[in-house]
Amino acid sequence: MTSVTTTSPAMPPARSPARASAARIGIGGPVGSGKTALIERLIPVLTERGIDLAVVTNDLVTKEDAERLRRSGLIDPARVSAVEAGACPHTVIREDPTLNIAAGDELEAAFPGLELLIFESGGDNLASTFSLDLVDWWIFVIDVAGGDDIPRKRGPGVLRCDLLVVNKTDLAPHVGIDLPAMLAEASAVRGGKAMIATNARSGDGIAAVADAICRAVLFAP
Amino acid sequence: MLENLVALQQADSTFPSGSFAFSNGIEGLAALGERIGGEGFGGEGLSRAIEVVLRHRWAGSDRVALILSHRAGNDIDRLAAIDAAIEAATIAEPMRTGSRRNGAALLATHSRLGTPGAEDLRQAVRDRRLLGHLPIVQGTLWRALGLGEGAVAQIAGYQAAAGCVTAAIRLGIVGAIEAQRILTALLPILAEVAGRPLPESDPGEEDEIVLTAFTPLIEIAAARHARADLRLFAN
Repeated sequence: MTSVTTTSPAMPPARSPARASAARIGIGGPVGSGKTALIERLIPVLTERGIDLAVVTNDLVTKEDAERLRRSGLIDPARVSAVEAGACPHTVIREDPTLNIAAGDELEAAFPGLELLIFESGGDNLASTFSLDLVDWWIFVIDVAGGDDIPRKRGPGVLRCDLLVVNKTDLAPHVGIDLPAMLAEASAVRGGKAMIATNARSGDGIAAVADAICRAVLFAP
Repeated sequence: MLENLVALQQADSTFPSGSFAFSNGIEGLAALGERIGGEGFGGEGLSRAIEVVLRHRWAGSDRVALILSHRAGNDIDRLAAIDAAIEAATIAEPMRTGSRRNGAALLATHSRLGTPGAEDLRQAVRDRRLLGHLPIVQGTLWRALGLGEGAVAQIAGYQAAAGCVTAAIRLGIVGAIEAQRILTALLPILAEVAGRPLPESDPGEEDEIVLTAFTPLIEIAAARHARADLRLFAN
């Protein structure tokens, strides 16, 4: 490759990006763990607290999660964007989050008072982690029905998230899970980092997740 | 040496550009192949499709817009005219939208990196003075990084071809090794179309913007794909 000019040949030194005003958080986790259900529960709680929010979803092969939120009646459908993951749910939140960044920028431009942008990852595996270029803080959702060995597997998602949510606590007795033992093991592998047990269906634990979000990125007491 | 390394960096698929999420018609062609029946859409069909894309869309449309944008530098009015020409010359809506979204994603990275001119370009898109099609963003910013017309055409052409084969791998159309075999066979075609001269106008006059593309089957496939309930790629 020889056809290049000789003026300003190199990348400029990196500088701090001009950050938009809304806080950006990620919600990841395995397929079926309850990410969309958690968001459905969080929206009214956060809205009740006066937080101006929007959501970007990364469905793998459909727009089901985006459509589910748009039709939920919980949020203005225009505040929900869907970004395709090109069969790579990891890539779109980590190695190349630019489509998500651009979708977030568009939502911020459309809704100038936006305070919180929630990025919902497509269902993935335990190695799924968010780039801090995309989000300021992120949640990883697992569920008791996925098995009490999930924390023991020490996946990067479980270990590195800012908040681990263990969902579907109501199912524990039905799937032979010792919930206190599972939570204790999860807390141990995370070195005591934040963890909340939820039942997104009933709403148990949702207020605590909202509290954690507000404290972490919205500077609420 | 440094210039070549900059070119490699910009061509590298690890450079965040959003391109991985666009199949640019390949997923639609695969679905159309299944519907038509027969042997379906395999390696041979993929190879033919990419050659068609390079010869009949990229060479006369994206490549020309790219080089004209490179020549336009930071002249937003001139870029807007080229941008509008791409919009008009790209008949299939998923391709138009895809080009704008891919441009916005690439611009998001360069804006955050502080590439000269990136923030101005981004503001022009926000202000609706530009649509921000991918070739506009590539041509303007790669020039700002010191890359010449030839290098810019090589990178964009390579990414157009490599993007199709990468999508095909993820769609299960071909394996990773077969994909490289196909890409290798396409390189001479890419070299020929990327190297075609684009004459410059007389000093003081702007180059005429003439974009040509004719890929009806891929556009039909892309239009069907846009309405599909199940799809992995943005187009």
